[in-house]
Amino acid sequence: MDLYRRTLFKLLGLTAAGTALPGCEREVHNLVPYLLPDEDIVPGVANWYASTCQECEAGCGIIVRVMEGRAKKIEGNPQHPLNEGKLCARGHAALQGLYNPDRIQGPLKREGRRGEGRFRPISWEEGLSEWVEQLHSHARTSAMITRPVTGTLASLFTTVINSISGRLIFYESTGERTVKKANYLSFNRRELPYYDLAHSDYLLSFGTPFLEHWLSPVSFGVAYGKFRQGRPMARGRFIQVEPRLSLTAANADRWIPIRPGTEGLLVMGIGQILMREGLTRLASSQQASLQRTFTSFSLDDISAATEVSPDVITKLAHELSSANAPLIMGGGPAAAHTNGTETLMLINALNMLIGAIGRRGGLQWAEPPDSPVETVQPELSSEQMLTALVQEFEEGSRSLLHLYLADPLFTLPPSLKFERVLKQAGFIVSFSPFFDDSTSMADLILPDHHPLESWKDHFQADTIAVPSWNLSQPVVRPLYDTRAIGDVWVEAAHRLGGSLGEQVPWNTFQDMMKTRWEAVLPNHHPPLSFETRWRNALQQGGWWPVDVPRQQISPDMPSITYELPEFLGNISDFPFYCYPYPSLGLSDGRGANRPWLQELPDPLTTGMWGTWIELNPTTAKALGINPGDQVRVTSEYGSIEASALLFPGLHPDMIAIPLGQGHRAYGRYARGRGVNPMMLLGPKFDRQSGSLATGGTRVRVERLKGGSKLVMLDQSKQHPVLQRMQEMGGVS
Amino acid sequence: MSQDNQEAHEPSKQPTWSYKWEMVVDLDRCSGCEACVVACHAENNIRISGEEEAAQGRAINWIRIERYWEGEYPNVKVKFLPVMCQHCDEAPCEPVCPVYASYHTPEGLNAQVYNRCVGVRYCGNNCPYVARQFNWFDPHWEEPLAEQLNPDVSVRSGGVMEKCTFCVQRIRRGKETAAKEGRRVRDGDITPACVQSCPTSALIFGDRNDPDSRVSHLKKSERGFHLLESLGTHPSVTYLRRLSE
Repeated sequence: MDLYRRTLFKLLGLTAAGTALPGCEREVHNLVPYLLPDEDIVPGVANWYASTCQECEAGCGIIVRVMEGRAKKIEGNPQHPLNEGKLCARGHAALQGLYNPDRIQGPLKREGRRGEGRFRPISWEEGLSEWVEQLHSHARTSAMITRPVTGTLASLFTTVINSISGRLIFYESTGERTVKKANYLSFNRRELPYYDLAHSDYLLSFGTPFLEHWLSPVSFGVAYGKFRQGRPMARGRFIQVEPRLSLTAANADRWIPIRPGTEGLLVMGIGQILMREGLTRLASSQQASLQRTFTSFSLDDISAATEVSPDVITKLAHELSSANAPLIMGGGPAAAHTNGTETLMLINALNMLIGAIGRRGGLQWAEPPDSPVETVQPELSSEQMLTALVQEFEEGSRSLLHLYLADPLFTLPPSLKFERVLKQAGFIVSFSPFFDDSTSMADLILPDHHPLESWKDHFQADTIAVPSWNLSQPVVRPLYDTRAIGDVWVEAAHRLGGSLGEQVPWNTFQDMMKTRWEAVLPNHHPPLSFETRWRNALQQGGWWPVDVPRQQISPDMPSITYELPEFLGNISDFPFYCYPYPSLGLSDGRGANRPWLQELPDPLTTGMWGTWIELNPTTAKALGINPGDQVRVTSEYGSIEASALLFPGLHPDMIAIPLGQGHRAYGRYARGRGVNPMMLLGPKFDRQSGSLATGGTRVRVERLKGGSKLVMLDQSKQHPVLQRMQEMGGVS
Repeated sequence: MSQDNQEAHEPSKQPTWSYKWEMVVDLDRCSGCEACVVACHAENNIRISGEEEAAQGRAINWIRIERYWEGEYPNVKVKFLPVMCQHCDEAPCEPVCPVYASYHTPEGLNAQVYNRCVGVRYCGNNCPYVARQFNWFDPHWEEPLAEQLNPDVSVRSGGVMEKCTFCVQRIRRGKETAAKEGRRVRDGDITPACVQSCPTSALIFGDRNDPDSRVSHLKKSERGFHLLESLGTHPSVTYLRRLSE
């Protein structure tokens, strides 16, 4: 029965008046989530449940306010060591995923041609038998592309996929694989370090958008506040080097624009000066191996290539050596080139030179936890590995495709030909709760619950001071006839039978989780029953140690062969660098179906509900382009058209475009809105990690006839008052 | 404070405490990340305008991040400024309201009584901070988005002016809880949604009448200033200047 709030209040009103029929009361009680005993529901009084945010991979702890069975508000979990009670714009908007009007409401089977968008509702029994039948008939040719899940779900996927000789691919377009690869090559650790920004007094960042979307923006935000104003006597200084002034760069004390892809050279220049002047904090014997790496280019050559003057380079070196606890971070646009990993390895080496490794206010690694359950975070696949998958589907060695919260059709450039997988596949099953671009090509859809409706656990070891095991619990009763993906896979394992059935003996995914958690949760003195410890963990949002010992990192660094970046498209036909950047609210596009995020003005441009193309004002003038003109950006691989926006903080040879729009599907708020700059990119990869070099394709720009509308919050032309505020400022 | 405690221990006497709610915005912490903006939408049932209406300048934000570009490439700087209703002690919006929809509470809040408002928009016209926003149409949520609406906050219909309330529903709840326990509201008991979510803790809220509250301390900072101070509106929001190297 569909009961809405208003109806509920009416019923409650009747109850209060003492005229209610017993039947009505039972209906009302049906509304509450099954987690809560009926007698604990008090109308008008909120219950808060701890859970884990799944809007990005950071894994912030959250608490959800639930009233009469409805989730009302999400806030950060104050006890969680990662986000300390704070939450970002995207985390809040998870509610609009739960209550999204375009959710898939039950299992669906394709009718008509693939991609035509016609589906027929089916029962779960029909859906499950169809899927298991397909698993049998496509024996050993399965592939699964999933968002990078961890914990019990990762273990379940791995067990099932291995038993059917399938291929499991963890993919995320904003996964910062270059950062992970460089970290592994430099320090031999899979986990990213804890960046102790809060205790640093000098931050030199090469492109890291850590206040926007990089790795764990909320925890970096928390640390940034402390870095600036958390200590009575010290205020951290912050320098950002990147070709486009991002939101993060806007917060820096100094922004140093640099020629795209040459960040590694600047790192070398700084290292050279530190070594030459004896300003490093590393024993000279350990320094010897780095000497060659850092001196392979002369300072004059470096200055010419980077467009950063020798004086500025020297100043940076001196500031690093005079700071008490300097820290260097690299990523984002600095890693978006064919030499991305090499650039980041140079940054790692420079951190070693300034003594930031293992130091307070520097980079720290926790000892890997001594836990009986696996604590390895799944390795992310690169875009280059996904192109190998295209080949396998074309050859026919793979034919059954599974998709879970991954939308490669939208997030990969068409030049990688992923649509061939969707054409060639014998059968496509999607577990996505939304009709994203890839899911609309599926043959069978077995929709997952929303994270606020289901059980999950997560293991978090990147960028966190102590590794944490996080829990997600259902806080509301499922809205629709969806099923938790964990339960669906446990059921499939039973139906496939054989040794797999023995490996997955649990009835439900929750049982499987609890078995693992018996091993995760430590027992104290006096010992507590597992049920008590489990309930405490649920109340807290998971379990994490108070502190863990830090690991020593060997100061021996591997040698680095640095090469200059390569670009697709010759400079005379395609004179501009192109940088598509993840949008603050929409990220790589997964936020585009949440109206709160669509209507969230971009903080630098105030643009919303669309795509724009950013040009340096001088460049625009030379091309005769005015703000609001419709322009076309073309590469060797494709072209897009959108409204021009003059962006004062952009390298004159660069065009920047926000990602997130241009969906062909994904519901009423996203479909057919704006353009996807991924259309422009060619198959150019970072040499070491195989990640797509998103800055590696050159473009040209031309003005088209007429203007086009871009909705902006900044209405200063219509509001003389705002103009006055801008003039009077009051900001200093 | 000691007098308050004494009052609280006398069961016969209903204790009354006077509060003055104020906010401090530390621009040296604010990163412009807009977590506050969405937190405010979620807490206060702010409607979604949609592309067409937003293009008319009719999108509603009780808190917005203004950004100011300075200089030319490569010497460019951007400064962020979160702007919400300043809850002025001498509020220009109040005397112009013909129906007393805009009035000053004893605790220093600039309140808007929605069911008095007749939509003449004089207040919006008189607000130098463009903090007041008008509902040009009735709000609409595609089903089931309305399930999320906060039952503590009324939904505003077309023809009504609205603006930041400092999350008055949270203030009221905090005061009720404190009163039940027979004490004054403690610093940190009440956090408006924007303050609660702010990752960098750039927003601080509290009682100016409590000399030990963080707001009272931070207000004395030499970095402090008010927006458009020369207009003499005496805002309840104090900004702390962003520092440079």
